[in-house]
Amino acid sequence: MKGILTYMKRDFLKWYRGRVAVVSALIMPAAWLIFVGLALPVQFTGNYLDFITPGILVMTMLSAGLSGGALLMFDKILGFLNKFLALPTPRSSILVGKILFITGRGLIQTTIILFIALLIGATLMSPVQYLLTYVVLFLFGVLISAFATTIALYLDDHDSYSAFSTMISMPLFFTSSALMPYEVMPAWLATLARLNPLSFAIDAVREIGSGVIPSLPVILLVVISAVILGICMSVFRRVTI
Amino acid sequence: MHAIEMSNLTKFYDTLCAVDDLTLSINNEIFALLGPNGSGKTTTVLMLTTLLHPTGGNAMVCGNDIISQAEEVRKCISYVPQDMAVDIKLTGRENVRFFADLYGVPDAKDRVDEVLEVMELTDRADDLIKTYSGGMRRRLELAQALVHEPNVLFLDEPTIGLDVAARKKIWEHIRDLRKKGMTIFVTTHYMDEADQFCDRVGIISRGRIAALGSPSELKARLMKDVITVRVDGECAPPPLDGVAYVGRTGDELSFTAENGSETLPVLAGSLARTGATIRAMSLREPTLDDVFLQAVGQQEEPHGFEDGKFRIMLRRRK
Repeated sequence: MKGILTYMKRDFLKWYRGRVAVVSALIMPAAWLIFVGLALPVQFTGNYLDFITPGILVMTMLSAGLSGGALLMFDKILGFLNKFLALPTPRSSILVGKILFITGRGLIQTTIILFIALLIGATLMSPVQYLLTYVVLFLFGVLISAFATTIALYLDDHDSYSAFSTMISMPLFFTSSALMPYEVMPAWLATLARLNPLSFAIDAVREIGSGVIPSLPVILLVVISAVILGICMSVFRRVTI
Repeated sequence: MHAIEMSNLTKFYDTLCAVDDLTLSINNEIFALLGPNGSGKTTTVLMLTTLLHPTGGNAMVCGNDIISQAEEVRKCISYVPQDMAVDIKLTGRENVRFFADLYGVPDAKDRVDEVLEVMELTDRADDLIKTYSGGMRRRLELAQALVHEPNVLFLDEPTIGLDVAARKKIWEHIRDLRKKGMTIFVTTHYMDEADQFCDRVGIISRGRIAALGSPSELKARLMKDVITVRVDGECAPPPLDGVAYVGRTGDELSFTAENGSETLPVLAGSLARTGATIRAMSLREPTLDDVFLQAVGQQEEPHGFEDGKFRIMLRRRK
C-alpha cells in the first residue's frame, strides 16, 4: 500500500513541476466542446452541448489514460523501471500507482472541462449526479490506464507507443456514442458503438444527466475494468525485462 | 554461506548464448566482472537481480534462490543500472526519500540525511537534480541504493561517462562500503579501475569466465615483462625461448618475456628475419589489459555488423 502511494506521489510531483503539460492536455477537449458542441447544427436534441459533454468528459479521460501510458514507457527507456523491478516493493504497486495517478490526473482535467461546459451553457446538475459522474469516470480511467500502462510495458520504444495510442484513440472515439445517439447512426456504426467500452461510460454519464441510475453500463464497466485490471496485475507480477 | 553463489548459470536469447554455464562464488569483496561490450556482463547482473530468468542453472544471493525466492533476494540487494536514472524534476533529498519509502525504511527522514551525508551531498540536498553534475547524480544513485542497508550491491558500469576526479571519488565510496562488510559486484570495461580498486576480477568473454583471481595474481601469472612491437604488414611471430606471444591488436604485437631488456634485440632480429618492418618497440610491466588479451585470446580483427550483438545491445537499452 505504501509503495502504491509513493509511486503515485512521485508522478504527481513530477507532473506538478512540469506545468506546461497541465494546461496543454486540456486544449483538445476544450476545443471539441466549444467548436463542435456549440457550432454543430443538429436536429435530434435541443441542447447539443448537454448531449456532447458526457462524450467529451470520457474523451478527456481516454486521452489522459493513453498519454499516461507513455509515463511507463519513459520509466522503462530511462532505466527507472529496472530499478523499480529490483525493489522488494510488490511489482503490482508500480501498476496501481500509475493507474491512480493517471486516473487522478484525468479527473482533475475532466473537472476543468465540466467547468468550461457550464460556462458556455451546459445545464447544472445536482451534487449526487456529479458524484456519480465521477464514479463512472474513475471506473473508465482505471480501465484505460491499466490497459495503456500494460501495453507500454510490452512495446519497445516511445515511437511504437505513440503510434499505438494514435491508432486506437480516434477510432474508439468516433465509433462510440459520443457525438450522436444510436438512433441516428447508420446501422453498422450503431452495432460497433454498442460494443465500444467508451459508449458504456458515455451512456452512463448521459443517463446520470437525465436522472436515471445507469445500472447496466456501470455493471459492464465494473466487469471489464476488473478483468483488465486482473490481467494487467498478473502481467506486472511476472514481468522480466 | 557466500553472498553470491552461481552454479551453471546460463542464459540464451533465442539461439544466442549470452551467459554460458557460469559457476562462481563471491563474498564480502569488491568483485569486478570485466569484459568487452556484449560479453554477458549485464545479462549476468540482470539475472542476479531477479530481473531476468536464467535459461539454465541457478544462483543464490544472500542464501535465497533467485528464481523461487525472488522477493527475498530483492530485500537484501540494491541495483544501480548504468543508465543514471534519477528524477531531474525532484530534489536530491526527494529522490532518496522516494527509495526509502519504497523500501519501507524505518525512521526514513534520519536515514535519508545519513546517506546524503555519507555521499557528501548534504549541502546540495534540496536542489533540483537538473543542477547536479554527472558525478553527483551517480553519488545520489549510490545514496538511493544504500538507504536500506543492503548486503549486496550490484553496480553496472558505475563510472561510465564520468571524469577522472568523479571516478576516483565513486571508487573511494565503494571501498568504504566494502570495509563495512558489504559485498559489491561491479561490471566494468575499464581495466585500470578494476586493477586499482577491486579485490578480485573475473574476465568474461562470450559468456564464459576466461580468467579469475586478484589483479596482482593474474598479472603474476603472465611472465615478467611485456614487449609491444609495432610492425608494418603481416608477420608470423617467431618461436623463441623465454618469449611468449600474447596477441595482436591492430598493427601491435604483444609478447611477454622473462627478461625484457635482453629479449628486445633478439626479438627484433628474429622478427626482421620473418620480413616484417619494425616501427617501434616498447617494454613495460604487465597490466590487466595484457591479462585480458591473453585470457580472451587473440583479439579478432574488428568485424562487421553482427546482428546478434546488436540485438543484445538493444535488449540492454530497454
